[in-house]
Amino acid sequence: MADYSIWVLEYAAVEKFPFSVMMYGPQHQGTRKLPYAYVLLKGKGETILIDTGYDHVAYGEQLATAYGVSNYHGPRAVLAECGVSPEDVTSVFITHAHFDHMGAIHLFPNTKFYVQKSELDKWTWALTLGPEYRFLTGGGDPADIVRAVEAANEGRMICIDGDQADVLPGIDVHLAADTHTYGSMYVTVRNDGARDGEDKWIFAGDLIYTYDNLTGLDPEAPQIVPIGLAVGSQHNLIFSSAQMLKSVGGEVRRVIPVHEDRLRTTFPSRLTDKGLQVVEIALAKGEKSRVD
Amino acid sequence: MDKTANSRADEVVLRYVAAARPVQQLISDTLTQVAGFALLVMTSRNRAPLAEGALAGAREAAMHASEAVRALAVPEIAEHHHHHLRAAAAALLQACVATLDCLRVDACGQSDALVRTLRSSSDHLRTTTRLLPGFELVDFGQACCAAHAPQRLPQNVT
Repeated sequence: MADYSIWVLEYAAVEKFPFSVMMYGPQHQGTRKLPYAYVLLKGKGETILIDTGYDHVAYGEQLATAYGVSNYHGPRAVLAECGVSPEDVTSVFITHAHFDHMGAIHLFPNTKFYVQKSELDKWTWALTLGPEYRFLTGGGDPADIVRAVEAANEGRMICIDGDQADVLPGIDVHLAADTHTYGSMYVTVRNDGARDGEDKWIFAGDLIYTYDNLTGLDPEAPQIVPIGLAVGSQHNLIFSSAQMLKSVGGEVRRVIPVHEDRLRTTFPSRLTDKGLQVVEIALAKGEKSRVD
Repeated sequence: MDKTANSRADEVVLRYVAAARPVQQLISDTLTQVAGFALLVMTSRNRAPLAEGALAGAREAAMHASEAVRALAVPEIAEHHHHHLRAAAAALLQACVATLDCLRVDACGQSDALVRTLRSSSDHLRTTTRLLPGFELVDFGQACCAAHAPQRLPQNVT
């Protein structure tokens, strides 16, 4: 029986997102839906999120009009689909400091946040380089860092330096340095509690956008193909993907890309009355299904 | 107001926007740096010496931004915007001082002032984005989930 119940919760989407950004290489191959989502874990007395999403109030209109982001709903409405409120959330793992992953810290008042030290250090350094280097810092919002300082002042922001096992029971974090961002982090949930057990799930942040990043597009000749956006290197993205895949014995579906629309057909899922997907990856003992 | 006067007024505002935008960007970048240093200090005291050197550069940038804000020619219609831009720069300078205070003494009691000044600068900066167009704070153009939007190309690029 699983230690944690796990859901991937969509909170907005870009309906037509070019495939060439999700995967390096295939130009002019059409579009896919790109859901925006975060992960909810419940178990062991904890209510945990992997990433926070963003706050629509700050730049929702800009995102909607310029970038086609639609159907945004805030965490109160989204988490309610699983009987959780933002005040219930005890911990958040921030996979990286982009607005859509770290942009709603202030909406979780009782939460401890975990982020990689190098993600903040190097981003801060890159800002000293000047405007011609702004590619390195795009997607970040100064208000998010100020909110992180506020959380730190309340003892709620924890910077992790590299890999760390059992940050919470059965949950390990791993640094994927100089990949999508400087200090991207992926999260392993060992859902049977065993060190080398089989019920292991990996939450990849934006290290991959789709399962295709792990398999390539030719089933006859599988390969790892990185995403189309890195401030680090494609080399590092490929090797971090390989590491994630190896860690789950090559079982592709266990490396979860939150922006992958096919999660809803890979796992049990439900479309809410707001038009958002709830994807159920695991259920702990005593927890009721949220997709039936 | 006749057409010529209207066009002159538009031109003055456009000149203000063009001059103020890089200043706002400098304040925004420097605020992020100072907040980053503050975070470093609060979460890892033994790395504070690293922040001290970098903070000197940020303070210089904040002073430069503050002077640049004061030097802007401000048309009447942009006075409210300019008020918040000036306040953002002033609070940023105070945040630099507060960060240094946190480094130099027992941080107890100092960090609240630091958080207050960072918050103030951030809030004033956020307000500038709402008062005139062209002052967005987040560069979505390079963001992962927004990289698909058409970018403006120079005229001679096809």
